[in-house]
Amino acid sequence: MRRIPSVAAAAVGLLLNVSLAVSPAWAHHAFAAEYDGKKQVHLEGVVTQMEWINPHTWIHIDVTEPDGKVTSWMVEGGSPNILLRRGFNKGSLEKGQKIAVDGFQAKDGSNRANGSNITYPDGKKLFLGSSGTGAPADPGPGK
Amino acid sequence: MRKSLTLFSTAAAAVVCISLTLTPGKAQAPAAPAKAVAKAVAKGPRMPDGRPNLNGVWEYIGTANWDIQDHSPAPGPMWQLGAIGAIPAGQGVVEGNEIPYKPAALEKKKQNKASAPAEDPEAKCYMPGIPRATYMPFPFQIIQSNKDILMAYEYASANRLINMGKPIEAGSDTWMGTSNGHWEGDTLVVDVTGLNGLAWFDRAGNWASDKVHVVERYKRRSNDVMDYEATIDDPSVFTRPWKISLPLYKRAEKNAQILEFKCVEFAEELLYGKYKKQPTK
Amino acid sequence: MRQRVLTSLMVLTAVLVSTLMVTVPVIGQAGQAPAKAKKAAYTPPKLPWGDPDLQGLWPGTDLIEVPMQRDAKAGERTEVTPEEFAQRQAKAERTAENDKVAYVAKDSKVGINPPGYWLEHGRPQKITSLVVDPPNGRIPDLTDQAKQKAAQAKQAKQGHGPNESPEDQSLYDRCISRGVMGSILPVIYNNGTQIVQGPGYVAIRYEMIHETKIIPLDGSPHPSSNIKSYMGDARGHWEGNTLVIETTNFLGDKNGIGLNGGGTPHSADMVLTEKWTRTAPDMMEYTATINDPKTWVQPWTIRMPLRLNPEFPLYEYACHEGNYAMFNMLKGARADEAAAEAAKAGKK
Repeated sequence: MRRIPSVAAAAVGLLLNVSLAVSPAWAHHAFAAEYDGKKQVHLEGVVTQMEWINPHTWIHIDVTEPDGKVTSWMVEGGSPNILLRRGFNKGSLEKGQKIAVDGFQAKDGSNRANGSNITYPDGKKLFLGSSGTGAPADPGPGK
Repeated sequence: MRKSLTLFSTAAAAVVCISLTLTPGKAQAPAAPAKAVAKAVAKGPRMPDGRPNLNGVWEYIGTANWDIQDHSPAPGPMWQLGAIGAIPAGQGVVEGNEIPYKPAALEKKKQNKASAPAEDPEAKCYMPGIPRATYMPFPFQIIQSNKDILMAYEYASANRLINMGKPIEAGSDTWMGTSNGHWEGDTLVVDVTGLNGLAWFDRAGNWASDKVHVVERYKRRSNDVMDYEATIDDPSVFTRPWKISLPLYKRAEKNAQILEFKCVEFAEELLYGKYKKQPTK
Repeated sequence: MRQRVLTSLMVLTAVLVSTLMVTVPVIGQAGQAPAKAKKAAYTPPKLPWGDPDLQGLWPGTDLIEVPMQRDAKAGERTEVTPEEFAQRQAKAERTAENDKVAYVAKDSKVGINPPGYWLEHGRPQKITSLVVDPPNGRIPDLTDQAKQKAAQAKQAKQGHGPNESPEDQSLYDRCISRGVMGSILPVIYNNGTQIVQGPGYVAIRYEMIHETKIIPLDGSPHPSSNIKSYMGDARGHWEGNTLVIETTNFLGDKNGIGLNGGGTPHSADMVLTEKWTRTAPDMMEYTATINDPKTWVQPWTIRMPLRLNPEFPLYEYACHEGNYAMFNMLKGARADEAAAEAAKAGKK
């Protein structure tokens, strides 16, 4: 895990304000209230669990520091229902999968971050598009 | 003369009949008979497709939500409520009255019980899961369509749709599970998977994991009573499957309906109180 | 003589009967709302117990990009110009292209939200706004009483931080309820709406926040105003093939009629009249008229064309049970306060 030096952090803070202004989509102000725009983090770790819950999913990862110490982090994503409708399910992100996360750390300093970018080690975005199996796994009730 | 009278009266009768059936007024002359049909179906024992009609507002009467096993009366968790908060005696709803926990799982049940009521998901206003939703002290309504069956529970606005078509697999684990139903004769059999293992069976801390597989059976015993069974199968927690069985009663008020019990507000102090801004001294 | 009487009677009967047969359809129509112009109304199939079949998955997803209120420049125009529509299409294409970008760009800015592709998207629509009455497509003015209430609420927040207690969050972020309109107005995702019908009832399921509205069709009255709720009490009847729902018994000063139940809170006296009309096998016209003289100076109406989408099943949105965010917001605010206190102490 690397912390971005404070000069860059200030720049990020500025960018953050700009990106918030052009991203009205995420109307929840919850994220801004939980995370510190001055504490950008980059995490590389191994998935131990993914909570497919609402209002937001949580991906738990174990991050191994250069000194060998392992820290557990929780990464906040979007609502799982969107992913379920695209054909993903609880088996789509397996325990042991390596992922990389860019986000901001929780205001209270705990090991939580929002997942602004969540990718595989090669930089490919997680849960992009659909699962490739086509429409959601089930035909859906009410047909 | 007789002939003409007969003809006249027949004609007159015909005119009267026609005018009666074609009475003007509300636009839905075609819909009025439909309303009567719907009403007849609603009250009848069978749906037009011949299946038992489970539509209605149902509720369990008993103390299963306190403890699904036999229990004596006992003081409640808060003496401040006096007898109001005390636990009534109850005849258990578990067949054989034994819940076949594995030893470690029994320890967890005891821990749950010791942590109650604060850690009881019911106290937190979390959805009760299946089967607990069925025997909460709140009514629920069954809306049985010509396809799927909807169950709407008053407690915490919990609800679930029982898919009666081709079975669906649970994409993720949820509080109310993924329900696939089919008929076996006059019994509605509901297969529930994808439960998240976080709900309890009762306030006594009985529990199962997210591997649990619940099979429910609903069978009308009479117009106003329905027999309910739930078989619980979770080899990671229990040494064998076991069964809950209890009657459900149709709410008989003329205006029976489920009301709203959105209890989150009642649980906020319990959950978040210690993180609120404390008043400065 | 007898013969002539007989014949006259038969003729009279025939005339009477045929007159009635002609008259009835006319009488039948007199009570109906005037049919929409141009094409013949679609007749939905009937359920086995006679009610029109409105069942299915009718998500509001397609309408995500349609503004609630009409741009003032559009005046009374209910449809966008071809140029404006082309702009909407271009925007949708750009969004779809962005969503396909598989790799994170090296210079990508890190934001404080989840990834942008973790949303659902609309389909370009021709309608200028969701509000269709008043004719300018804009929500009417607030009453003086409502304005006063809003000012008082704002005043009460003076001198207080943003996250002192759960009540500082919206009813949506507290996972309590979005109210009836807030549960159907299209937002960034999870706009699932499903209709299930039983004899004597219609039930409407809303994905966020796992609501079920049960509408009795038996003509029974609402409960007394002593019973109030977030979703109100609904009673329905059919007008031809249109389901008309009247909802009253709302808790007042809670939800508004905005996205996710935000906006100016409506009063307990609001009467909400919704109409569901299946206009084609895969289209539903939904309208909602908000009548709350304590809050708005006149009633106003929203209209939404909803498309049947069997590929949009509802999934459980438990919300409160997973609301880590509430804990985190409160803890975050306490951390901010502690830091501010420490800074103040440090300066002394």
